Amino acid sequence: MPREIISIQAGQCGNAVGSSFWQTLCQEHGISPDGNLEAVEEGTDRKDVFFYQSDDTRYIPRAILLDLEPRVIHGIQTGPYKNIYNPENFHVPKHGSGAGNNWAAGFSAGETVYEEVMEMIEREADGSDSLEGFMLLHSIAGGTGSGLGSFLLERLNDRFPKKIIQTYSVFPDTQSVGDVVVQPYNSILAMRRLTENADSVVVLDNGALTRIAADRLHVQQPSFAQTNQLVSTVMSASTTTLRYPGYMHNDLVGIIASLIPTPRCHFLMTSYTPFTSDIVDQAKTVRKTTVLDVMRRLLQPKNRMVMTNTTKNSCYISILNIIQGEADPTDVHKSLLRIRERRLATFIPWGPASIQVALTKKSPHMPMSHRVSGLMLANHTSIATLFKRILGQYDRLRKRNAFLEQYKKEPIFANDLGEFDEARATVADLIAEYEAAESADYLNPPPEKGAEQS
Amino acid sequence: MTEERNQRIDSALSSIVEAILPVNPGEDDEIADERHEAALERARAIIKSHGQPSIVPDVQHISDMIKKRLVRDNKTPEPALKFSTLYTRLLNQRVLSQKWAILYLLHELSDSPKARPSTSAAGIRDDAFPEAGIVETRRIGSAGEHAFSEAFSYMGLHRLPGRDSGRGPGTGGLAGGDLGSQWNSFGQSKGDSAMKTKAELLAENYEDTEPTEQALLSSLPFTLLGLSSSHLPFTTSSVSAPPSGRDISTTQKYAISIPPTLPLPLVSLLHTLAEPSLLYRSLNEFVQSSSEGGTDGGLVGQSLKSAIGIELRGYINLVGGLENEIRRAVAAAETTIGVRTAGVTLKRCVVWTREATMGLRLMSLIVEQTSDKKGGQLISTIHSFASSHGDPFVHAFAERLLSHVTRPFYDMLRHWIYDGELTDPYLEFFVIEQPNLPDVGGNKGGASSVWEDKYTIHSPQVPTIMTESFAKKVFLIGKSLNFIRHGCSDSEWVESYSKSTSKELGYGDTARLEMSIDEAYKTTMARLIELMGSKFKLFDHLRALKKYLLLGQGDFIALLMEGLSASLERPANTLYRHNLTAQLEHAIRGSNAQFDSPDVLRRLDARMLELSHGEIGWDVFTLEYKIDAPVDVVVTPYGSRQYLKVFNFLWRVKRVEFALGSSWRRFMAGARGVLKAVEDLVGADWKKARCVVAEMVHFVNQLQYYILFEVIESSWDTLQTAISKPEATLDDLIEAHAKYLQHITHKGLLGSTSSRSSGKGKKAGTDGDDTFMTQLHEILKIMLAYKDAVDGLYGYSVAEYTRRQERGQRIETRTKKGEWGIREADEEGETAGRGSNPEDMMLPSLRQRLKTLSGDFQARVVVLLGDLAYQSDMDMRLLGVLLSFNEYYPVVNKRRARGERERRNTPRTQPGVKPKTRDGSTGESATGSGVQEGE
Repeated sequence: MPREIISIQAGQCGNAVGSSFWQTLCQEHGISPDGNLEAVEEGTDRKDVFFYQSDDTRYIPRAILLDLEPRVIHGIQTGPYKNIYNPENFHVPKHGSGAGNNWAAGFSAGETVYEEVMEMIEREADGSDSLEGFMLLHSIAGGTGSGLGSFLLERLNDRFPKKIIQTYSVFPDTQSVGDVVVQPYNSILAMRRLTENADSVVVLDNGALTRIAADRLHVQQPSFAQTNQLVSTVMSASTTTLRYPGYMHNDLVGIIASLIPTPRCHFLMTSYTPFTSDIVDQAKTVRKTTVLDVMRRLLQPKNRMVMTNTTKNSCYISILNIIQGEADPTDVHKSLLRIRERRLATFIPWGPASIQVALTKKSPHMPMSHRVSGLMLANHTSIATLFKRILGQYDRLRKRNAFLEQYKKEPIFANDLGEFDEARATVADLIAEYEAAESADYLNPPPEKGAEQS
Repeated sequence: MTEERNQRIDSALSSIVEAILPVNPGEDDEIADERHEAALERARAIIKSHGQPSIVPDVQHISDMIKKRLVRDNKTPEPALKFSTLYTRLLNQRVLSQKWAILYLLHELSDSPKARPSTSAAGIRDDAFPEAGIVETRRIGSAGEHAFSEAFSYMGLHRLPGRDSGRGPGTGGLAGGDLGSQWNSFGQSKGDSAMKTKAELLAENYEDTEPTEQALLSSLPFTLLGLSSSHLPFTTSSVSAPPSGRDISTTQKYAISIPPTLPLPLVSLLHTLAEPSLLYRSLNEFVQSSSEGGTDGGLVGQSLKSAIGIELRGYINLVGGLENEIRRAVAAAETTIGVRTAGVTLKRCVVWTREATMGLRLMSLIVEQTSDKKGGQLISTIHSFASSHGDPFVHAFAERLLSHVTRPFYDMLRHWIYDGELTDPYLEFFVIEQPNLPDVGGNKGGASSVWEDKYTIHSPQVPTIMTESFAKKVFLIGKSLNFIRHGCSDSEWVESYSKSTSKELGYGDTARLEMSIDEAYKTTMARLIELMGSKFKLFDHLRALKKYLLLGQGDFIALLMEGLSASLERPANTLYRHNLTAQLEHAIRGSNAQFDSPDVLRRLDARMLELSHGEIGWDVFTLEYKIDAPVDVVVTPYGSRQYLKVFNFLWRVKRVEFALGSSWRRFMAGARGVLKAVEDLVGADWKKARCVVAEMVHFVNQLQYYILFEVIESSWDTLQTAISKPEATLDDLIEAHAKYLQHITHKGLLGSTSSRSSGKGKKAGTDGDDTFMTQLHEILKIMLAYKDAVDGLYGYSVAEYTRRQERGQRIETRTKKGEWGIREADEEGETAGRGSNPEDMMLPSLRQRLKTLSGDFQARVVVLLGDLAYQSDMDMRLLGVLLSFNEYYPVVNKRRARGERERRNTPRTQPGVKPKTRDGSTGESATGSGVQEGE
């Protein structure tokens, strides 16, 4: 019973990140590009969370690859890991033109591909003993990942109401003007689904990714491959406790239950350190990695993969540090005390919160030039500032009713643009929720108290 | 005839005097005559004073003596043969009547220029001779002399430098030399007529004693050998003993009666001489007693006896030599000179026997001191003489004894360190075997008791020739070998090992002994550890214990829990073992545990603890890992119980985590659907409930993190480093493992009591909450109860949701039919139903329950944190820090926390809970925020 996780990658970005992710997983588990084991070494890892074995004992990812235009998927199908995927799990129209960066187009396309995609998902779900949940990889700025992704979130919710749905969502760069003018529209519309239909969203801010990549690699414009490597590193690190079972956090619920106290506040930000050349090409080496160094760096805003504006009220709702490598528990102990002493992290005032630490084994197949590496999964209220920026950009566009023509063509906006308003309200609520969580009386808000008690 | 003879002598004398006396030319005749007369007179006096010859004038005898002398002095027998022919011719001479006198004169003349000038001046009484009665011992050959000196050298008494020269037959010579010089001086001052030699004075003043010294001397050898003689009889009764008190005190049993007629100096000499004889006698008895099968002294005792026996034999040899000397002296005295001149007197005997006496004294001291000791103690006693006695003689003597006495000890030692067998029939070795032990591997604690209890080191028996640490090493070696042989049934190795390395051990060669012991130590320890590791997979078992009983194999545990959770919810008596084992099998097959070795998995067992009434499956389920001999030396039955205890605790925590997780999953997934629909009614409740659940999840996760990583993992690291040390012994392993478990149970809050137990005096008995264990159990219980309540809330929400759906459907159908969506009857029914409907009563009571439980939970956590904060152990304080990392929970001082808890405990059993708990919870959170802001 491996508590399987089925990953669905939608859109260009999702597929690019996904293929990088699978490559990383294969390397960590010693699976060769054709699916065979490179080294037979049983008993330490669990490959069956993300892979299953075919009749000829090859390992096949539990992955479904969706796109509305063939370019990226074609790249995967001709790439080095082309043979590892189940060929039945690709869905790409032969001559698809994509969703044209239009959320509504992607969403509408969902209806047409629904049967086929659901059949794939059902097949994968039936192939697992105890399905834990789904993992959606996509970006929210474009058309396919955002629109088709949103559609799938809604449908998965109906079809598998008791399964965990986690997404790794790439958010657009909100600091600079992106290449897609309508990305605020797409983002807001997708965010509504992320808020309402997902259990946990790992936010990967493209702006922050670019910055981190540039910072680490000293390249002004890092390639997509390099940022994708960052993402896949984060993804593989956040799933190590599932793949290398230890004492704790051996299932997805175990991880996110400790991170997400209330259903709506489920947007997680990540930090990872160190990025070395083992992980990302051309990364500069970090000289010293002690547990304290790693844990301290994880808390630094510049290492967060989300661009946020931290105010003095913003605080951590929860933190889970996944430390890989030769971490001595006593070092963790000391680091925690040091962090507490120096007040390097601020926590919510309305409940107990702390840095939870998961110590995991590192893959024997991946040489690491550093002793310890760490991933932080954090639920931080400042993520609301990212949403606020998106909301602001949306509002600016919406005020001018700009670029709405393409959307009105699609069925969902055929009657009115109410969907936009609902989505905006949801995001605004979400921001309000996060802001409320910064105050001490989050649990007993003063005005509501009387009404509630009666 | 005598007249004639006297005249002849007179004339001969006067002619001699005349011839010798120088004539003074200027002297007148009268004066010359006077001088002549005086000289003559003196010559006469000399002759007269000489008196009768001291021996019987037997021609045959004197001829024999001469012959013997010739034989002795010459290498070839020719002179003696020549003498024989001359002698026959002399006998045939009829003219000479005084043939004996002639021969005697010649004999004496031949003597005098040599070493015995004293003869002519001898004043030894003639009459001593017949009474001595040792006529038959005239032959003191060179062989006898040799034996005599040998006797001494065997004893080794004269190894000491500076004494050799004055020993043995030479002594007499030296003494004679002294006398000779006196004689010389006498000769020189011949003119001084008034001067007398010391010997003369002695002779003049000599009073005859009864019995004479000669008699005493001749009976001395017997006395020295502890035999009664006519002059010096032994009396066995100490009461009737003469006042030679010291001797009695040493022997206690025997005494010598010294003839009362003797003069005081002699008595004192005899006293001195009586000491060795008495000592000898008692020692001899001691030695004899052993040869008659007395085993109470054990092997070492026996060897002591034998060593003493050898020493006594040396003493007997000495006495034999002494006897020879005495007889030769007597024989010499026979030939006209006195015994005294031969150099043997009582005094000299005292000197000769002095060293032997010291030896005997020491031995009897040893015998006395060791009478109630055996084995190592005995050796220690003797060794104390050898090591801490300033007298080099005593030192050397004790060393010599030791080399004999320790032989059986070293034999045992050899057996022990090379074969691992204890060959010690008399319990003399410092390792003791517990006699009444169950058979190896017989009962559950087999191997551990074999290792721990089968042999013990008995420190009083450790001889001082080895140090305590050395003895410990020896003990460990033998124990390990024995354990390898019997516990691990690997006797082949032991045999080949003992064959290849066994060597003779003996006293004295400490360096080599130490080396070989060190070597043996290393080899056996390495072998034992290797056996434990490779053959018995000790380390695999430890790892397996950590993996399965300490939840290290997370996926296995999760699977097992999921598989079992349904059946464990039911009452314990409905559980079937086959169900448990089936689930166990399933969990093994489904998890990475399947890759473990079959031997490990075979030992894994799921079972139920003893049932007691009303328990559910969760309470009685346990996982077990069977350990058998010889691994249970390290993982003792006690250790296994500790493991079980830890497992049960961890399992309980895990169960709570599992329950909270599944609950979380349900209401999180529900938030996407069902719960969203009823948000207006129960949204606030859910928000609160979720946050409390989050709080609990946080608590459980931190608790688990603490126990699993801070406690188990770091203890495991310590254990690993301890057992992977190359010089680790099995004892080290056992100790390291015990410490490992102790750490886990202590820091894992299982064993220790909270700090409040220090103030136990006042309130200890009131409740059982004092241990962390019970506190944690309470908290976990509350969590489970809360989880149930949340599930109830979920059920209510779902029911509400369905009700609404039905209603909506009803409205829809009616609307379709063209009727009013809501009728009055419906409204009425609903409002009426609201009062009586149990569903509607549920929500307030659920709310109440959730509130109570969360308040309870928080209060208990605060108390626990208060206790943790006052722990002396850093790690345990860390748990407190982890649980309240953001200082959410208020810091309470102990007394207040306790008071609060008391206050809370009382009403909890009563219905009127509400106001107090609310106060408590809001108060707490207020304090919490206060703290937060304050800092």
